[in-house]
Amino acid sequence: MSWAAHQFEVYAVEAHLPKKMVGQVSWFAIFFGDFTPDFLAKFWVYGVTINGHHFGASKPDQWHRGWPGMGISHTLFFGILVTIGIWAWKRNRAWTIGYLLGFAAHVLTDVNDSVGTMLMFPFTTLSWSLHTWAYAATVSGGKYLDAASYYSSLGFVMDLFWLVVVLVSWRCLTREFWRTNVVPGDPYVWSWLGQWFDDRGLLAIYRSVFFYGVCRMIAWSAWAHIVARPVINGVVHHGYPYDLSWNGPWWVKHVTLPHVTPLIVLPAALMLLGFVYLVANTIWDRMAVGQSSANASRKLRR
Amino acid sequence: MTETRRTRRPYPPPPPKWVDVLLYAGAAVSYIGFSVYFKWLLDWIVGPVWLVAWVWGIPALIRLVRHQPVRPPRGPRSAPASEEPR
Repeated sequence: MSWAAHQFEVYAVEAHLPKKMVGQVSWFAIFFGDFTPDFLAKFWVYGVTINGHHFGASKPDQWHRGWPGMGISHTLFFGILVTIGIWAWKRNRAWTIGYLLGFAAHVLTDVNDSVGTMLMFPFTTLSWSLHTWAYAATVSGGKYLDAASYYSSLGFVMDLFWLVVVLVSWRCLTREFWRTNVVPGDPYVWSWLGQWFDDRGLLAIYRSVFFYGVCRMIAWSAWAHIVARPVINGVVHHGYPYDLSWNGPWWVKHVTLPHVTPLIVLPAALMLLGFVYLVANTIWDRMAVGQSSANASRKLRR
Repeated sequence: MTETRRTRRPYPPPPPKWVDVLLYAGAAVSYIGFSVYFKWLLDWIVGPVWLVAWVWGIPALIRLVRHQPVRPPRGPRSAPASEEPR
């Protein structure tokens, strides 16, 4: 799984929208699209322990990404279904396309860990994984081991990569960008929030996901490498050891699900990303017609 | 008979840029500092709320103490953008 990368990619998607969609896609929809897979699946991955009894998935990897399990929440198929539902409900292309792009970004980023995602669901339930770093959510280790493992492996590099992508497009964090590109994509939501918050507050809301991403990256890394004193193979370490090799870190069990050969995963993921952008680009203009007629019929009903 | 009218204090201008920078930096340093030791703070709700609480909440609290309006004024100025939805 990816950690802060999921926060950064919201801004990366917003900053790299196709030209004709600039200023017209909902940032909230991108956020919710990116957020949905883990919102649906992750709470039970770690579970909760009450009075010594653990409530949660007995096989976190199977539950999170597999089938049967909540792995469907990390499939493009599910994202497309929800996207169709949003369009059928609201006839709002800013939300429909934003949600689709955010969701796709999450699903495609998650192919990097050793469990991967079921990219071709429902045609096959095989996982598509690059095995870049080890999936480390376990019943005994919980969230802490997962975080320590991620921020000791190439997962940390993945977070840094997405951070750099956002920083290269740093204008997407400015007040000017927010006013000209983000607010027009979602004027009703921002003006509704504007009842309570002034522009500085609204801008802070927009930047808050990025803030959370940066801070959690630093905080988890600091905890894992400075504060924690793990015992690995009977040896007390001052911080979890870094292992930036493929499949790392070595001190975590390498969990996998039945999967396709990793060699085809990167080209397939890139092709799917291109496909999603192509489809979004193609249906964008047609959706304008549907949205206008829906708005007209709404006005007539009033 | 004397006519009394409640005069509403005007909404204060936004603080200078350096105050904003300080608030953002304060939010980041405090959030990272606390969450390293209290890891439950590293949550997708707490994190964003922490920033908004610092950047918007602290100045709002100061306005409240000074009996200035906390909510932004209604009208064209309150809308963040004048563009029509597309």
